Amino acid sequence: MTGYLALDEVSVSFDGFRAVDGLSFSVEEGELRCLIGPNGAGKSTALDMICGKVRPTAGTIFLQGRALNRLEEHEIARAGIGRKFQVPSVFRELTVRQNLDVAHSRQVGVWANIARFGHHADRDGLEKLAELVGLEDRLEVPAGHLSHGQTQWLEIAMLVAQDPRVILMDEPTAGMTVQETRKTADLFNRLKGKHTLIVVEHDMGFIKEIGDVISVMHQGRLLAEGSVGEIEQHAEVRAAYLGSGGISGA
Amino acid sequence: MSASTTHNPGHRRTWLQIAIYGAVCLTIFLVPTILDNDFLLNKYSRYLVFGILAIALSLSWGYCGILNLGQAASFGLGCYCMAMALKLRTVPVHTGDDGLPDFMVWNNVTELPWFWVPFHSLPFALFAGIAVPTVLAALVGWFMFRARITGVYVAIITLASLVVVNLLIIDQQRYTGGFNGITDLAQLELFGLTFDAYSRNSYYLVASVLAACLFAALAITKSKTGLILQAIRDHEDRVRYFGYDVAHYKIFAFSASAAIAGIAGMLYTIVMEFASPTFLDVPLSLSVVIWCAVGGRQSLLGAALGAIVVTGTQGALSDSGIFLQSWTLLMGMIFVASVLFLPKGLAGLAELAGERLRRLGRDTPPPVKTDVLGPVREGEGLA
Ligand SMILES: Nc1ncnc2c1ncn2[C@@H]1O[C@H](COP(=O)(O)OP(=O)(O)OP(=O)(O)O)[C@@H](O)[C@H]1O
Ligand SMILES: [Mg+2]
Repeated sequence: MTGYLALDEVSVSFDGFRAVDGLSFSVEEGELRCLIGPNGAGKSTALDMICGKVRPTAGTIFLQGRALNRLEEHEIARAGIGRKFQVPSVFRELTVRQNLDVAHSRQVGVWANIARFGHHADRDGLEKLAELVGLEDRLEVPAGHLSHGQTQWLEIAMLVAQDPRVILMDEPTAGMTVQETRKTADLFNRLKGKHTLIVVEHDMGFIKEIGDVISVMHQGRLLAEGSVGEIEQHAEVRAAYLGSGGISGA
Repeated sequence: MSASTTHNPGHRRTWLQIAIYGAVCLTIFLVPTILDNDFLLNKYSRYLVFGILAIALSLSWGYCGILNLGQAASFGLGCYCMAMALKLRTVPVHTGDDGLPDFMVWNNVTELPWFWVPFHSLPFALFAGIAVPTVLAALVGWFMFRARITGVYVAIITLASLVVVNLLIIDQQRYTGGFNGITDLAQLELFGLTFDAYSRNSYYLVASVLAACLFAALAITKSKTGLILQAIRDHEDRVRYFGYDVAHYKIFAFSASAAIAGIAGMLYTIVMEFASPTFLDVPLSLSVVIWCAVGGRQSLLGAALGAIVVTGTQGALSDSGIFLQSWTLLMGMIFVASVLFLPKGLAGLAELAGERLRRLGRDTPPPVKTDVLGPVREGEGLA
């Protein structure tokens, strides 16, 4: 398998139901790949397998040629994969600052971290990051008090703080206003090149702003791959989206 | 508002906390200067030991979400390690050739068992009192947390481990004194000081260790490791995807907690002058949970004060002789009430009061230096 991150004939079943069924695709280093597909296509499950949340029942996932299948979640994360979840997952009892501190995980060992006090993450960097996502005034607020959009942003900022080589984003703009979505697009365009990104999205406007190559999934399989224009014209893709309000409205 | 970039309320909070912790420790140290009663000092020493035990549980339960119902096992093992050392230092009066403990003679044991021998050395005993509970906890923790056992199952497994240790000690009467425990102990002698249970020395020893444990635990919770523990308490699965090995962190919290409990156990033997299987029984273990709930398990100091207040009350009531029977009932009611109405315990109440006070101060005409107020108040400007 070639490519920086590659899925090779990956499948998983839940109680006999094949949520992902022989999925293969690969992403180049520094690329931003959009992954789309109707509801239930298996997009989140595909990301779950890359980050180790779900174990594939068949097939292999490679990062720079190294198979990830046998690794535990934290080992996959150390190998360089970061994940933002579809349902924003932050530490609700901890403050925004603490959330960013946890995400800043250059040192992961118990003993390495026990002698580290005060500002674990580089303080200026952390505050600049908070400013970037509009949370600079909320650093001392528990994450549970944030609005939905702010929570999304916090988790995105946490991934930036984590600084993994590969970032998996599951519906990052869900629940965001048009303005917020635009700001997120700016941020993603800046991350492109430095990181390799896979972004699951439904919002075609957003995809047009950030995406180069789009992969389309349907019923657990890869249906099509190509530029925004190619995908919008693709007959099978249009058919797959029938009944779900068309590709742009999905 | 650029205040957030120049000022960190988290820091201020830490210093305030250190000041409060220090003040409480100082108060505890000053008690003997106004109280010249060795009997009472002994009683207070006991409450302080329970305070240390509560600190231990606060570290694992309050900070990492590990509800350890077997805390008394670590405590009891500490008790027995100290008792074994002190027993070997007694001068055998009635029985005991070659320094053989009296209960062994009664049980027809003719030779000191191999695992008793190293306890001739006091430094070894002090080491074992910490190491034995720590290693045991690390083992149990390794099995539980590697297998990702969480929540109520952790409570059940720890409780079961406690019962096993307890039964083992009762069962091995020849080596442990069984139901009777280990009695008639020598007094601890350390650094040229004698620690008579009914003396200021012992009180100061317990108070110093309490302060040391309190600040050591505080340091852990303020470190990045402590932050990760709290993140695990909040959302364990999420922590893994940042590259932290959750099992490692939980084993650490669980074992560090056991170490502190072991230290508390050693002190308890000194102030009680014996060790008994009741020091590691289920009721004591459950009591620790109640102390933490009442005092506030997410506050180390709160948990310690919770233990001191609850056991102090219990002591006062049983002295007066009225309430003794209904104590368990009362304790249960206090527990339910604090869970229902004060989820953060007395510490939460104090924090709330502090917050109110600060707001009250803020309502008076503000001084010119507005930046001191910090950035968080922005949204409340119109209120
Ligand atoms: N843990 C699970 N157990 C059983 N079925 C599951 C599980 N996770 C996912 N599925 C099923 O697998 C299919 C794919 O789900 P997945 O969440 O990957 O879809 P998706 O493409 O992300 O959809 P959406 O756009 O709605 O987020 C769905 O039919 C879902 O019900
Ligand atoms: Mg999904």
